[in-house]
Amino acid sequence: MRAAVAILLLAASAGLAQKFEQRGYLETRLLVFPQTAPNDSGQVVADSLFRWEASWKPLAGLRLAAGVDARTDTHHQTARQLRLDWQDRSLKRPALSVRRLSASYYRGGFSLEAGKQLIRWGKADILNPTDRFAPRDYLAVVDSDFLGVTAARLTYETGANTLDLVWAPRFTPSRTPLLNQRWTVLPPAASAVRLEDLGARLPGGGQFGARWNYIGAGYEGSLVFYEGWHHLPLFEGRLRPDAPGGLRVEFQRFYPRLRLYGADAAVPLRWFTVKGEGAYFTSSTPLADEYVQYVAQLERQSGEWSLVGGYAGEWITATRNPTGFAPDRGLTGAFLARANRTLDARRSFAVEGALRRNGKGSWTKAEYSQTFGQHWRLTGGFTWVRGDQADFLGQYRRNSHAFLLMRYSF
Amino acid sequence: MNKFGIVLALSAGLIQAQDAREIVTEVQRRARAESQRYEGSLRVIDSGGRVTDKSWQYDRLGSHGNSKAILRFTSPPEVRGVKLLVLNHPDRASDQWMWTPALARERRIALQDRSTRFFGTDFSFEDLEERDVEHYDYRLLGQETLEGHLCWRLEARPRKGKSSQYTRSLLWVRQDIYVFVQVENFVDNQLARRLKYGDFERVAGIWTGRRLEMHDVRRNSRTILTFDKLDYNLPMQEETFTLQALRRGL
Repeated sequence: MRAAVAILLLAASAGLAQKFEQRGYLETRLLVFPQTAPNDSGQVVADSLFRWEASWKPLAGLRLAAGVDARTDTHHQTARQLRLDWQDRSLKRPALSVRRLSASYYRGGFSLEAGKQLIRWGKADILNPTDRFAPRDYLAVVDSDFLGVTAARLTYETGANTLDLVWAPRFTPSRTPLLNQRWTVLPPAASAVRLEDLGARLPGGGQFGARWNYIGAGYEGSLVFYEGWHHLPLFEGRLRPDAPGGLRVEFQRFYPRLRLYGADAAVPLRWFTVKGEGAYFTSSTPLADEYVQYVAQLERQSGEWSLVGGYAGEWITATRNPTGFAPDRGLTGAFLARANRTLDARRSFAVEGALRRNGKGSWTKAEYSQTFGQHWRLTGGFTWVRGDQADFLGQYRRNSHAFLLMRYSF
Repeated sequence: MNKFGIVLALSAGLIQAQDAREIVTEVQRRARAESQRYEGSLRVIDSGGRVTDKSWQYDRLGSHGNSKAILRFTSPPEVRGVKLLVLNHPDRASDQWMWTPALARERRIALQDRSTRFFGTDFSFEDLEERDVEHYDYRLLGQETLEGHLCWRLEARPRKGKSSQYTRSLLWVRQDIYVFVQVENFVDNQLARRLKYGDFERVAGIWTGRRLEMHDVRRNSRTILTFDKLDYNLPMQEETFTLQALRRGL
């Protein structure tokens, strides 16, 4: 793996300019939290990310792609060990990680990509129920980034039809908030006990998914099937009253089996575009709920405004009351919106948010962004979270924050 | 006016409209190519004189009204890898998707987006679309000399049922080589954008303006688009213009 990265770097320096592309950025972010949290007194957090991506086409029809992340921070969300991480299974973000390393071969309508890659399905924004090969880094819940997965992806495209088959031999879980940080919100009673994280039981075996997409005259739609595991964990807890040092709760993360049947569609109309996406989540894991999750949204481009608004819902078909971390389900039963205004070629303004149907939780993010020259971008804004402790969004109400982001792209 | 006069006037108007349409049809016929490739450079100069540069590679397969095009941004670095796929249909509006590497997903762009400025430039998505001669009614207004060349001056209005952000456009067509020299686009009788073509060159037998300057009159900003490495009728493969092709590369 390291050798492959080295080959790509060598290719860049060897002057294979016509067949070699690269890009990347160095980004430094500063977050200021006006309030402390019961388990986190830190109010100023800084982190830096260096991301490099490259693509090399050594032969007709063959392409190699690589991406590497290097990061650090002030809040110990990033591991301090300098080892190159492939699996993305650690609790903390790795200091060095392979985001992408894949080979793809295409001929006619066939395309095969194997290796670590990003696979995104679905047509909606903000929430994608059918996007099953897209685990995320949720260390800061409302600001997540996608993780690559190790998979083989075979695509056949002919005319209006595209068939996508994905097999992932290794499971990549979403990264969940750290226990000692503000994005893990514990009930007040938990302060009387010690919590011990026993780690994760990661499933073995592969995951499989198939997606058929059809582009018709004035509409587009897909059918999706997925068989594997949910990348978001459930928790299994055990009370240990006899533990040395007093009452202790031990918990372990595990990942329920998941079989999913989904669909999505996009229909551009005269005044707006209708997009919808829904999926039925079934599971043979006894503790996992079964449910239908759906998103319906309208979007419209009006002058320099890009507007998206919709509703995300959930209909539970089998309730088993699991304890888990489920930001996707946490965004259901909510109105979702996003507005973006391009002020000119250098400046933009965006606001997005979610508001619970019952009014018990809301999340709003607003940002202003401006480029300076060809390489620099400065973005400033705030995230405002309100609501009740019992609500998924509302529980993070002490985590409203302002942010400043500086990026150098190359 | 007697009946004969009315018939004569109507006939003259009809002939004039026909002539205008024939001129635009001839412009389109002469620009016809089975494929097109260029590297485009954009310079946006806003009302305060601040300059922003962008560049892209453009490939098109097919000809007017029934073509596929893909546009790949090459700079500035933060948009490198962003791609736009456009499928033009003869009988309906085009399908468009945008690929953003940061999202690792294509996103369908809707019909009503056509009036939106193209990545903050003074071109709207509609300005960069192919104009199908059948979508407009034309009127020949006369002739005048522009940039030292004798031109026909035409008016184009979108036909009923054909959507456009512009109420009407004035077109100047060079009489010697049948190319657009200038286009003025109006919204409710107010000039909104003026597009000037320059640096004409004959490439693969097709006269092409290699420099386009769009002036957004309302914002008082300008965008200059130049075509480098322009060529026509190159061999291109259908599979280059697909959704999965968008995913390839960065």
